[in-house]
Amino acid sequence: MNGIQIILLCGVVSIFLYYIFSLRNAFFDLLFLSAFSGLAMFFILFPEYTNIIAKKLGVGRGADLLFYICILFFLFITLKLFGRIRRLENKIVDLIRQQTKESARFMDESKKK
Amino acid sequence: MAFTFTLYMLNLIKPKNIFIVIPVYNEQEVIVTVVNNLLPYNYSLVVVDDGSENNLELLLHRLPVFLLRHRVNLGQGAALQTGIEFALAENAEFIVTFDGDNQHDPKDIDKLLTSLIDSKADIAIGSRFMKGAVHNIPVTRKLLLQLARWLNYFFTGLLLTDAHNGLRVLTAKAARHIQFKETGMAHATEILSLIKKNKLRYIEVPVTITYSAYSLKKGQNMGNSFRIFFDLLLNKIFR
Repeated sequence: MNGIQIILLCGVVSIFLYYIFSLRNAFFDLLFLSAFSGLAMFFILFPEYTNIIAKKLGVGRGADLLFYICILFFLFITLKLFGRIRRLENKIVDLIRQQTKESARFMDESKKK
Repeated sequence: MAFTFTLYMLNLIKPKNIFIVIPVYNEQEVIVTVVNNLLPYNYSLVVVDDGSENNLELLLHRLPVFLLRHRVNLGQGAALQTGIEFALAENAEFIVTFDGDNQHDPKDIDKLLTSLIDSKADIAIGSRFMKGAVHNIPVTRKLLLQLARWLNYFFTGLLLTDAHNGLRVLTAKAARHIQFKETGMAHATEILSLIKKNKLRYIEVPVTITYSAYSLKKGQNMGNSFRIFFDLLLNKIFR
């Protein structure tokens, strides 16, 4: 095992463990993460397999295949984050709306309803 | 005014049960004019201040309007939803959405209301491009609105003569079905989706839109249009 393999493996295992503890209840997220981490570790230990798979998929080199997968993964994460931000925004809107309705004022005190 | 005047006389509609929801964001230059133009009609006025930099309390002090204030700026769609929910809680029979930049003519409310009642529709939407409508729209804005019409059609399947016209009248029943999730300007497209989804009956009515240097400065531009487009696209995925 060479230096870069050790560095990459440490990174993947740390991220995997971190998410295991923070995603305890999200079954499908955990499943996806486990599969993804397992594949990452496999390709780090046996990089020659990326070339074989790349050729089968019509991509020249294993490094290129990983680059394309990374783009897809990055897009997936971006969309997941967008969804989460949108849910948070909706909660903020609901909170502000509730507070706004409670503090509504009729401006002409003399003609108060 | 004549038709609704008859309805008022017969006590079928009370002007106070018609709620005008006016979303405003930094409209301190014109908001008092907008309110004063509406006051003679005796409608219930609901000004929703969407987190303007200047507090409108001093400007609207002693005017017979409800003032609701978002603590932070959320967008026109969110302001309208807040106003609609407030009006429904106050037992509104009809809810009118009316822009706060002095583009609309208060006389048109009666026209929309009359057409709505006559046609037994749920929503009457103002149009500046129907026969009988009056506007002094610049050419670039006209082209932009034509593009928006087709985008609305692409997203909702409804092709109206106008897009993004802020003057609408809703029955209370329709207003309960209209729940804007779009906080920004994309609500103008979302309302069409909600009309279709809830099988609401709608009509278009020609209205007067007056463009001033002020309203043009505040209105939509090409950059905003792209933002609306991407909002709609992304929100379709994350509905």
